[in-house]
Amino acid sequence: MKILVCIKPVPESEAPVRIAPDGKSIQTDPLSPLRMNRYDEQALEEALLIRDTFPDTRIEAISVGPKRSETVLKRALGMGADHGIHICTDIENDPVPAVVAAWVAAAARSRNYDLILSGMMSEDGLHGQVGPLVAEHLSLPCVTAVVGIRITPGKATASVQRVPAEGLRDLLALSLPAVLTIQSGAQKPRYPSLSNILRAKGQDLEIIAAASLSRPESFQQAVRFKYPQKTRFGRFLEGSPQQKAQELLSKLKEKSFLA
Amino acid sequence: MTRPIVVIAEHLEGKIRPATYELIAFALELRQAMPAPIKVLILGNDPEDMAHLIAAKTGLDVMAVQESNRPRYNGDLYKNILAPLLSELNPDYVCIAQTPMGMDFAPGLAHRLGAVCITGVESVYEDRGRILFTRAFYNGKILADICVQAKTAVLTVAPGFFKPSSADPAAPGRVEIRKTPGGEARIRTVETRKAPAQESEIAQAPVIVSAGRGVGKKENLALIFTLAALFPLSAVAGSRWICVAGWLEHRRQVGLTGAVVSPKLYIACGISGSVQHLAGMRDSGFIVAVNSDPHAAIFNIADICIVEDLNIFIPALIEAHRQKT
Repeated sequence: MKILVCIKPVPESEAPVRIAPDGKSIQTDPLSPLRMNRYDEQALEEALLIRDTFPDTRIEAISVGPKRSETVLKRALGMGADHGIHICTDIENDPVPAVVAAWVAAAARSRNYDLILSGMMSEDGLHGQVGPLVAEHLSLPCVTAVVGIRITPGKATASVQRVPAEGLRDLLALSLPAVLTIQSGAQKPRYPSLSNILRAKGQDLEIIAAASLSRPESFQQAVRFKYPQKTRFGRFLEGSPQQKAQELLSKLKEKSFLA
Repeated sequence: MTRPIVVIAEHLEGKIRPATYELIAFALELRQAMPAPIKVLILGNDPEDMAHLIAAKTGLDVMAVQESNRPRYNGDLYKNILAPLLSELNPDYVCIAQTPMGMDFAPGLAHRLGAVCITGVESVYEDRGRILFTRAFYNGKILADICVQAKTAVLTVAPGFFKPSSADPAAPGRVEIRKTPGGEARIRTVETRKAPAQESEIAQAPVIVSAGRGVGKKENLALIFTLAALFPLSAVAGSRWICVAGWLEHRRQVGLTGAVVSPKLYIACGISGSVQHLAGMRDSGFIVAVNSDPHAAIFNIADICIVEDLNIFIPALIEAHRQKT
């Protein structure tokens, strides 16, 4: 089997994100490291689990992002991916999902993957579109927010589970090749092994310049960015942790939550 | 002729999902900014009764599209049937719920229509002749106002942002029934299982102490349980990540894919406030949030905000309580 895993580099959750002074873009710290989007990490783990069962599986990881995204692909190699493809952009800001999906599909088109996996969404953009759009570009069936995959040995089919609504679980059968987006895996993503880290260090990534790919119209414009308005005017407590604890305790007693 | 706003109704097991009425509330708000007829479209193997119910409750025209071969949602089929139908209706906007079902077919449908897809829409307004849609980035820390430049936009509407109106319409809308052969789908539903009915203690608890990724490691959850033990009739809950990691049982998960709760007191510990989590606890009576990140989105909906490492703050709170009693 040949599997492609789409991996988005995202800023660390605690890394500062601000709106640029003109209000037209989001500024992230170009020096703060990028990490693997956690949903994509789950997708990679699912691919690795498939290879644990079918050892002749080849796993390739693909990312779209600036030069410094390479660290994320190197981590994917460290976790066990066989090959890394970097669609290198010359800007820090994200292209919209329609553009990312067109580029990923362009890179995937001639490589005959049996399965394309991605996370169900990214933690920064929260769009949830790249997987389904890659499927459309390649005319493949797509199931989103998958929570379990079982490949039928010897047959080009998969059965997958997804949660269509709270309290329900659908078991779906589909033919391969297909695109699946992963909500959560059954197991925790593995840490890179030392042997894989050493292998990854010496391994070159395949670089594709985004400028060499055709870029579809995005048909949307972020007119302005803004910070959310508070829906409740919550009070930030001040002082030492002990002072804040005392104040919260008084508040909880005043509201009769505590005796 | 004015191009319509189309709402795709969501239903499950013969019942209209509440998200459908939120979508209709959104479409009505969109119509304030851009006058247009609203048409509700419901697709399924037996949609007629549900179509009449929507028409009666909202006064809007409903098109019921009957595909009799498959009783369950099928993403492949939805796209196959809706794409040509919507090309015929030629809408400006197609409104879909931001649910596991809606998110499954909305982007692909948009692609087939040559439309732009904007997911997670939280508000809509008109600004200098343009219609802007607001959506969240970075776990809700930043919002963007998006202007659509395509002929058609497929929008998924975030849950909990548009409250359905309860006003009775003067007259029910018209219902049109269409039948479609549906055709082949590349995805087949083998079975649907119901999760074992578990009495969820979090649904009833008046006080919920909830843990997020900020807890750091599983062992630190003991602090959350100790804090919850201070309150009579309390329960411990968690964010999706905590439950996916297996640190808490899934029945304790609060959020879009977990339980929706509205306790009198919700203490969010180390929870960033993702859109998905907020969808499950926004209506809590009094919200206390403890998070080391002062920009965490949870602080936008909290009554008391505490910027601290919870592993330092919660022991201080427990100790302060011990001294007072």
